Amino acid sequence: MANKKIVLIKDTGLGDKIKEYYSLFLKSVREENLQDQVQVVRAADLGVYNKGVVVKIVPGNIIYAHVTAEQIHEIVVQSLKKNNVIKELAINVSDKQQRIVLRNCGVVDPENIDDYINVDGYQALKKILSSYTPEKVVEELKVSGLRGRGGGGFPTWMKWNFARNIAADQKYIICNADEGDPGAYMDRSVLEGDPHAILEGMIIAGFTVGASKGFLYIRAEYPLAIKRIDKAIIQAQEKGFLGKNILNSGFDFDLEIRLGAGAFVCGEETALIASIEGKRGYPSPRPPYPSVSGLWRKPTVINNVETFANVPVIFLRGGNWYSQIGSSTSKGTKVFALTGKVRNSSLIEVPMGITLREIVFDIGGGVLDGKKIKAVQTGGPSGGVIPEELLDTPVDYENLQKLGSIMGSGGMIVMDEDDCMVDIAKFYINFCVDESCGKCSPCRIGGYQMYKYLEKISQGRASFEDLEKLESICNATKRASLCGLGQTAPNPILSTMKYFQQEYREHIANKKCRAGKCVDLLEYKILQDKCKKCGVCFRNCPTGAISGNNKEGFIIDVSKCVKCGKCYEVCKFDAVVRE
Amino acid sequence: MEENNFNDMKKKNTDEKGNWIKVGLSTCGIAAGAKDVFDTLVFEKEKKNLNIEIKRCGCAGMCYAEPLVEVFIEGMPRVIYGRVDKSAAIEIINRHVCSKELVNDHIYDIKEK
Repeated sequence: MANKKIVLIKDTGLGDKIKEYYSLFLKSVREENLQDQVQVVRAADLGVYNKGVVVKIVPGNIIYAHVTAEQIHEIVVQSLKKNNVIKELAINVSDKQQRIVLRNCGVVDPENIDDYINVDGYQALKKILSSYTPEKVVEELKVSGLRGRGGGGFPTWMKWNFARNIAADQKYIICNADEGDPGAYMDRSVLEGDPHAILEGMIIAGFTVGASKGFLYIRAEYPLAIKRIDKAIIQAQEKGFLGKNILNSGFDFDLEIRLGAGAFVCGEETALIASIEGKRGYPSPRPPYPSVSGLWRKPTVINNVETFANVPVIFLRGGNWYSQIGSSTSKGTKVFALTGKVRNSSLIEVPMGITLREIVFDIGGGVLDGKKIKAVQTGGPSGGVIPEELLDTPVDYENLQKLGSIMGSGGMIVMDEDDCMVDIAKFYINFCVDESCGKCSPCRIGGYQMYKYLEKISQGRASFEDLEKLESICNATKRASLCGLGQTAPNPILSTMKYFQQEYREHIANKKCRAGKCVDLLEYKILQDKCKKCGVCFRNCPTGAISGNNKEGFIIDVSKCVKCGKCYEVCKFDAVVRE
Repeated sequence: MEENNFNDMKKKNTDEKGNWIKVGLSTCGIAAGAKDVFDTLVFEKEKKNLNIEIKRCGCAGMCYAEPLVEVFIEGMPRVIYGRVDKSAAIEIINRHVCSKELVNDHIYDIKEK
């Protein structure tokens, strides 16, 4: 029964022909007397979108697109009976993802160190401890071109080298796992799916800079990640990868977990260090940078989860191999949490230099419900939006920065026509106002004022002068804030103002929100000529704002209406309109 | 630790072969109901006394299709099933594991060896 050929079919278009095609395939297979060698299966997803009925044949991974009912018999005869490929129908589908950081996620049991060892785990550490000097480690990292994956993109080798070159009785390694961007969960998945890779990266960092102690700063909202890292540390200690005299090399290193209480600012390195020291999570001015004077004023290397997870692979396969992947300035791959109005919300890992369009359409499967894409937001509250016309830009640190956004830790939110750019900017600045620690006034006061101006615009009370004031506050906050939170908080506003100026103007001049998100600018109406007087809006209105009866029709009382949009949703005749 | 020990440790693991099912049990999977699926698979395995290992793994990335279950049966390609619920889990055991037939409407990826 095994070793059967498998035919997967899926209707990737809008129609629903799959049941019909399924029985046609079964019939053809029976006619050719192949039922013992072939199994036909309806698939849920073939990684191909908007290409009609798609047929995939395994073994061989042959994919046929836009298959019609008449072609089914030919496919069965040619491809299943005679093993030929029908060239006219076949399409090439290349997997655009490349999994380096996520290499073991979904493969190994995260709570079992043997599983990790089985996939070459701790081999890089062993190689380094037995045959590398710290200088050589730094050299190899330099060749690889790895840059910090927390968002800033600072070359990792430089950071390690600074800390290595300073003489101190004690140095520290910190893993920043305080992931707080809305809609981002890359670090959580790595912590939960492959904890040992992070530990291995940290131990290598410890050896390189001469640190004997490391901390993983994980937010308390990630209980499963904490549990798995905790287990991983114990297992690594039992196997001798952590503790005294690791693998007989004379090198001592141990790790501890520190929990973050969920303050966004604690993802900023100086605030994070203060938090580990037991102080309030306030950032402090840099320089001195943590690699010179960090935790308890000792040289400290602080890197993101993803950066550490990259390290073991670089030493297993070589810095040269790693530097072949990616674009000229940004090497390797990047993990993104692709969310928002995209068909396949997923955690993806792509080589740097891929375009946003490829990410959204080829990997993400396009926009939900076939709507038009408006923009892609990257970098969370510190990033910006990239409009549809710039989606062909290759993704790397420099390009995104040029566009007024940042790479960030890897949140990527797809927005369609129903998303209002003023509303988006307001959402992010509101987040930053909530999360501002309040230590420096540009961020504390500037953030609040920016929020107030955006609120004014979204309520239709603003003038064009306000737009100019908003922009000058943005620029001042950017320049004068103490830490990354305030310096980047205006990015969502500045980038939406740059690319969607027209939308801001509409809010101010016409008092209209084209996406229908700013409730104060909306009014719901019932078009009497379209209304069939069914009363479904009347029954669904939560505030009793709709009055009338089945004979005379219905009207909305604007003074009682809370603009929830329920009537708009339930009307089957498009008689309720939003203006 | 001696070098030899380290190699032994690796060998022991690669020697393990045979049929297995992996369930993605990270926060994303658990939120979508992967724990129930895992328990169902273990229950069905014990009930039928099957020679198959039910393992846990991290998130495979296809969040839109959670809970994800990957099945490997010797002689068949590796198959990733998505949006698996209790009844789909039972069907995977009955059809895929017992009669080596793939289950309809849940396949998200298939990997040849």
